[in-house]
Amino acid sequence: MNDTELYYEDLDLGDEIGPVGRVVTDEQVIEFVTVSRDEVGPSRFTSAEVAKSEGLPNPIVPGAMNIAIMSQLITGWSPTVTLRKLDCVFRGLVPHNKPLTLKGLVTDKDIVDGSPRLECDVTMENEEGTPLVIGKATVIVRMREG
Amino acid sequence: MTNEDPDLKFDRSLLGAEQDMGSVQVTREMIVRFARSTGETNPIYFDDEAGKKSEHGSIIAPPTFCNSFVNGGTRPDIGLEFGDLSLFAGQSIESLAPVKPNDSLHASTKLKEVYAKTGRSGKMVFTVWQTSFKNQDGGTVALVEESFVSRKRTPR
Repeated sequence: MNDTELYYEDLDLGDEIGPVGRVVTDEQVIEFVTVSRDEVGPSRFTSAEVAKSEGLPNPIVPGAMNIAIMSQLITGWSPTVTLRKLDCVFRGLVPHNKPLTLKGLVTDKDIVDGSPRLECDVTMENEEGTPLVIGKATVIVRMREG
Repeated sequence: MTNEDPDLKFDRSLLGAEQDMGSVQVTREMIVRFARSTGETNPIYFDDEAGKKSEHGSIIAPPTFCNSFVNGGTRPDIGLEFGDLSLFAGQSIESLAPVKPNDSLHASTKLKEVYAKTGRSGKMVFTVWQTSFKNQDGGTVALVEESFVSRKRTPR
């Protein structure tokens, strides 16, 4: 978590967010899939056997978990910003236990209905720099005055 | 093209019709486990002291929390007569209000739109579902949209 307070006036198009390095472990995936359900059977997300039976090389990270991790580019960016909307497209399978890199770029800033907002491109890449998840984030950021 | 495309054959009575997805009683443990499993580092999502000092007075759920309760398997079949291959195309979540421990969330989903696009690989049909989560006060806290694409398999 970055503790630096960022304000609308300080931010501009082309500003970079991150990069943030992440590795999603088997244990984290198991915990994630049981947050919303008490009992979860083996799946492509948790079982190598099931993953292989579905033609996948290894278990993969669930889409909802990928989006949660992508959101942390914003939630960990500054205590003065709030993620309003995140729109993601899945381009590749996200593996367990492999280095991932999250990056963002401010692409627009505007005041919408009195609310200072940023539009940001966000990506999750694998070790080779291949985008696995790409998206757009709408971020609410405080102003210094008012 | 839009869902008015007369060539698209599917059950149009489902467009905009709300389907009940059930309720979720949010607990502190659920929020903390969601934050921990996803590696969240902002203490507002897992540290009770940080939560108490915040404008919310307690920890709150990370902004994509509701997304983990969307279950595509419970939706009705729209009877789309196109393609033989369906893929998950993307997802968006809009966080409209904080979710706190002890909130009772109610989810409903509706078929938002069905539309066609033609690309290099031919025609594709996109089906978009929108799921809304309301809290015990009736306020909408999150909107989740999921897109699925249907297409014809490429002959080998």
